[in-house]
Amino acid sequence: MGWRIIPKLFQNLLSKPMTVKFPHESIPIPDGYRGEHAYEIEKCISCGLCAKICPNRAIEMIEATTRENKEKYQKQYPKIDLGKCCFCGLCQDICPKDALKLTKNFFLSTFNKSTTIKYPFKTEDGAK
Amino acid sequence: MKSDLKNEEKLLKELVSNYNVKGRIQRERRIWINTDKEKLISICKFVKEKGFDHLSAISVTDWLKEGEYEITYHLWSYKRKILLTIKIRVSRKNPSAPSVSAIWDRNAQIHEREMHEMFGVEFKGNDDLAPLFLENWQNSPPFRKDFDWREYVKKECYNKDNEREIVYHE
Amino acid sequence: MNNQVMLESTGKNEYELFFGPAHPGSGNFSVKLEVDGEIVTSARANPGYLHRGFEKLMEYRLPIQNAVLSDRICILEPLNWNLIHAEAVDELMGIDVPERAKYIRVIMAELSRIQSHIIWFGVFSIGTGFDTGFKMAFGYRDYILDLFEMITGGRVYPTGYICPGGVRRDLPKDASEKILKVLDKIDEMVKLEEIENPVLQARARGIGVLKLEDAMRLGATGPLLRASGMKVDVRKEEPYEVYDRLDFEVPVRKEGDAYARYMIGIEEIKQSMKIIKQALREIPQGEYINPQFKKPKLNVKMPKGEVYVRNEGGRGEAAIYMVSDGNTKPYRVKIRGPSFLHMISVLEFLLKGVQIADVPAIYWSMNICPADLDR
Repeated sequence: MGWRIIPKLFQNLLSKPMTVKFPHESIPIPDGYRGEHAYEIEKCISCGLCAKICPNRAIEMIEATTRENKEKYQKQYPKIDLGKCCFCGLCQDICPKDALKLTKNFFLSTFNKSTTIKYPFKTEDGAK
Repeated sequence: MKSDLKNEEKLLKELVSNYNVKGRIQRERRIWINTDKEKLISICKFVKEKGFDHLSAISVTDWLKEGEYEITYHLWSYKRKILLTIKIRVSRKNPSAPSVSAIWDRNAQIHEREMHEMFGVEFKGNDDLAPLFLENWQNSPPFRKDFDWREYVKKECYNKDNEREIVYHE
Repeated sequence: MNNQVMLESTGKNEYELFFGPAHPGSGNFSVKLEVDGEIVTSARANPGYLHRGFEKLMEYRLPIQNAVLSDRICILEPLNWNLIHAEAVDELMGIDVPERAKYIRVIMAELSRIQSHIIWFGVFSIGTGFDTGFKMAFGYRDYILDLFEMITGGRVYPTGYICPGGVRRDLPKDASEKILKVLDKIDEMVKLEEIENPVLQARARGIGVLKLEDAMRLGATGPLLRASGMKVDVRKEEPYEVYDRLDFEVPVRKEGDAYARYMIGIEEIKQSMKIIKQALREIPQGEYINPQFKKPKLNVKMPKGEVYVRNEGGRGEAAIYMVSDGNTKPYRVKIRGPSFLHMISVLEFLLKGVQIADVPAIYWSMNICPADLDR
């Protein structure tokens, strides 16, 4: 048992480690990864199916509040709470017009609580 | 590829002729029988000698409209490869049933302990019915259909002033 | 390791020891030991730290939402629990699953079983002091997690990949070659593990012996029964999916101690690799899901009835009993986890009369998961 360890020792000294140094290098992410949501309001028909199928009730249908948004968008649109979402992808599967999709972004940690809620309108109080 | 159901039919005939139970064969390897509380221990002893030595689970279903609990015993036999389920019905007020821990030992004792805690069923003959999962629980047994768990959770865990929890209060 | 010790002043050498949840070698579970000097006289299990009430949660959700919830029953083998929930709903509603979907389900379930046994090897090593084994195991497990990310979209949580009707997505085009490359790496790891380490042998041989009559009486299933001498496996007794067309063996040992259980874990990894290679050769083309269930639907009613499904999980026999009374949501779901009996009755029986230093070796050799005990 004793001497058999020596060739293995040399092999391990000369080979690369199994890990990568994360923020400086990373491995490529495959397609189909379930990350942050991307929503296109032009395609949405306000059917509300995404809010009904979500297992955690993370999607809520809201109306517009500022005056210019109220004239353009008159029905109800989904507001997503990323703190409750489990990233299962059922809302992407059920949407009949492909308005809601999941992208590859997973850098979602933040120090600012307001970024955990995603509003559907581009210019709104409290939204990006 | 359908196999014949000879073994299942033979077993069902023996049980019907000896104990007068009502049963059916659902598919191959599955037999379901209904019986009364009084005949339970004698059927269990008979069936254990026939080779059903593995108790897979004991479960309770709460039929609120009919006012009854249905207790099911799922037994598997390694030799015959058949699963036999025995179902009995007891009333919902002061439910009690005889314990099968004299026949299947510690295996049955622990399943009955969990059912006592979650549904409130008294098993006569089981001497270790201490609480298993919950500590200092004072309300009614939690898995009954008339325990309103939504009201309990809203009162104890959620905060009405938090704007992100408003959706749970609807 | 720093244990929490509570001394009662009786004047003798007896005290109570909490091998508890704040211990680095115990997981989410605690055992109360009564100790006299260095020998344990009795043990009492204290579960309930992870009780989430799954059986009640599943009564208020649709079957497709339950499939997302079912991989959290035991997160160390998520695809096996997905599979048993999908089989229960398929049988209750009478759904036909296409052939290609059955082969994909078997491949994913066996990959999940290999990954769970690698975790078993890792925590067994760290429980007995062999730290290199832990790091090696978790390094090789990462190759399998990269495969899951490519096929299902998430590394640890596949969120209902195996759903009622089939699977949610098809395999990508180059999945076969990548799976075979990963299996070569796992082969390398198995060769390293089989080297007879003298420290592991001294700590695990002859410890925690479970004889066959005691195992049957206390309700043990799975690797514990196989290490005590009985050749039994749910995949051979009542084959589900396509296991009746695949050729594999069931490893058995007679001694019943902790070392026998560890060796059975390694041999099961080899048999799982054999199953995956056969399935990859025989997989047909076709649909990956029953076409009625491609898009999730909200108002499909389940017919009245009841069903009991048994599967072979990584830890033993897992089962689901589902009752439906004609609505869209199930009326009662009962989940039988394999660790429920192992951790309460078998553990209390095996810990009588051993020394304190042997407690981690026995505890981790039974491959327990507190999550499917508490549900």
